[in-house]
Amino acid sequence: MSSNAQASTSPVAEVPLSRRFGLIWWIALGASGALVLLLGYTLISVTIMGVGIWGVNIPFVWGFDLINYAWWIGIANGASLFAAILVLRRHDLRTAVNRFAEGVAFFAVICAGIFPIFHLGRPWLFYWTFPYPATFEVWPQFRSTLTWDFWAISTHVIVTSLLWYVGLIPDLATLRDRARRKTVQRIYGIFAIGWRGSVRHWAYHQRAYRLVAILVLPLILIMQSTVAFEFGVTLVPDWHETRQPLHFVATGLAQGLSIVLLVAVLLRWGLRLGRYIDEEDIDLLGKLVLASALVSGYLYLDEFVSAVLADRMTQEATFDRMIGDEAGLYWTAIVYSILIPQLFWFKAARQSTIAAVFVGFSIGVGIWFDRFSIIVGGLQTDYLPSVGRTYSPTLPETGLFLGTVGLFAAFLLLFARFLPVVSMFETRHDEHEEETS
Amino acid sequence: MAQLFTPAATTLFRVVIVLIGAGIVAAGVMAYVWARSDSTWNVGKSAPQPVPFRHDLHSGSLRIDCRYCHSTVERAADAGMPSAQTCMSCHSQVWVGASVLEPVRSSFTLGQPIEWTSVHRLPDYAYFHHAAHITKGVACETCHGRVDQMPKTVKTQTLSMGWCLNCHRDPVPNLRPREAVFTMGYEAHGKDLPGDIRELYREASRRLTSCNTCHR
Repeated sequence: MSSNAQASTSPVAEVPLSRRFGLIWWIALGASGALVLLLGYTLISVTIMGVGIWGVNIPFVWGFDLINYAWWIGIANGASLFAAILVLRRHDLRTAVNRFAEGVAFFAVICAGIFPIFHLGRPWLFYWTFPYPATFEVWPQFRSTLTWDFWAISTHVIVTSLLWYVGLIPDLATLRDRARRKTVQRIYGIFAIGWRGSVRHWAYHQRAYRLVAILVLPLILIMQSTVAFEFGVTLVPDWHETRQPLHFVATGLAQGLSIVLLVAVLLRWGLRLGRYIDEEDIDLLGKLVLASALVSGYLYLDEFVSAVLADRMTQEATFDRMIGDEAGLYWTAIVYSILIPQLFWFKAARQSTIAAVFVGFSIGVGIWFDRFSIIVGGLQTDYLPSVGRTYSPTLPETGLFLGTVGLFAAFLLLFARFLPVVSMFETRHDEHEEETS
Repeated sequence: MAQLFTPAATTLFRVVIVLIGAGIVAAGVMAYVWARSDSTWNVGKSAPQPVPFRHDLHSGSLRIDCRYCHSTVERAADAGMPSAQTCMSCHSQVWVGASVLEPVRSSFTLGQPIEWTSVHRLPDYAYFHHAAHITKGVACETCHGRVDQMPKTVKTQTLSMGWCLNCHRDPVPNLRPREAVFTMGYEAHGKDLPGDIRELYREASRRLTSCNTCHR
């Protein structure tokens, strides 16, 4: 490795190794830390007092718990699908965005996993969904969506953390070598698990990285479909649709890409990484976000068309979601996740940090409203005459949601502080190829 | 630059990984054994009672019928605990002045039930009906053991859900003719039940293992 290549990635390596990190980082960490405390508080209170403190009740047995679960898992799926495709295609963009796309996916899975566990009501018995030889001698009900959640989330956690960690190993070794203090060297050294950069190491590493990435592809489609099937297998007319998995996969991808874009521009601005995440990368990411928003738009259209062609009951249920009491949710989703991203037809918008933050954020919000609309709006028309209530989140639910946002932000901040946010070995590889060509 | 790790560090790292794996397996095995051990389910452990009542004396030596005290066992979900009146039907004549019977006498005078400690307490989400079992030929002895030999009442079975299901999945081996339900030390002959009843229970096991049979 030439000294030139060593120098080329040093700004990336300097970030985790520097002693001071500025006031803004501390303020941000403090704010997200406060939200993490709020998360702890809401989780403890729901454990002690039960899910009665949430706004859920028959027929709205799913509220914020499932809305936010579906939302976070969408981010995780979108981001890791994107990362895996970049690794497999050896696309140039991977150098810039892969590391934190994988990180975003991993953190989002953790946030997602909180909801189904606490939604159980007796979260300490969550392991009952795992098939182990229990003394009650009954296996978990495999037709139950609860067991699907268990497999979906645990598989997701394992695969996304593997993808992230395998990609990190060579860079952890770089940090080990460049760290100035002995303890820091040792800590990075342990996590670099003896990486010496031999040809054999690289060969194994490439194989492992691509193997995990290839695992992600079918997995993500299955996982996102699992979430969609949780709605599909019910008898609720608006949910009981075969198009449901497609809708969740496509909108999830748009959402994952938008969050990756959001994090990309924030890191680029915050850590001054313009050289590694260059204009072209952001431009390409913007185009992808636009394309995925168009696909989501197509699926909304598909929803409308299939409702027109459907039986009367499904038709009524779907149209009720579009023009009924909760129509605001549906149209907010359309405006935020389909219309606003159309800004990215303009090159100036794709290149502007503010526009990227705005669009990235609005797709996130839009898909959140989409999940809200599906879950609450889908149950709006009740088929029993006696029920007149609707669902609205209570304070503990809102606190729980904000808490997971805080947790996500805290993970990202710590990640930006202690780990290289851009893949250094991929950058070196790319620059080396450019030199030789 | 000095080496960061000694050559032994790699070995140590590998040993730690193996130990963590072995620890997880060991924890699993221990949990498996612990969950099935009798002490976890309080089997053979007696509870402190207000009166040192002896089943071995009343049911064993004196051969008092179970139903004399547990009078609703054939009709209700609860087997029924005897009122002080039932006790006093004998103890107004025998052991009249015994100090250990003081709680029985005061209960009788004050009309306040004696507070026994339950030995066979099921969780409140499990619905158990004594009469349903007794009238269909499940004997006292099958679940409560040789009560007639117990100086202090103890559990002899775990009463775990798996234990319940063992019988619900195939009740026939544990069923007795009606007249043998209250017998202690009964030896089954296997052919006591008519063939049509055995056939009936084989078909009924699906209904008997349905969740809402016991969790209503």
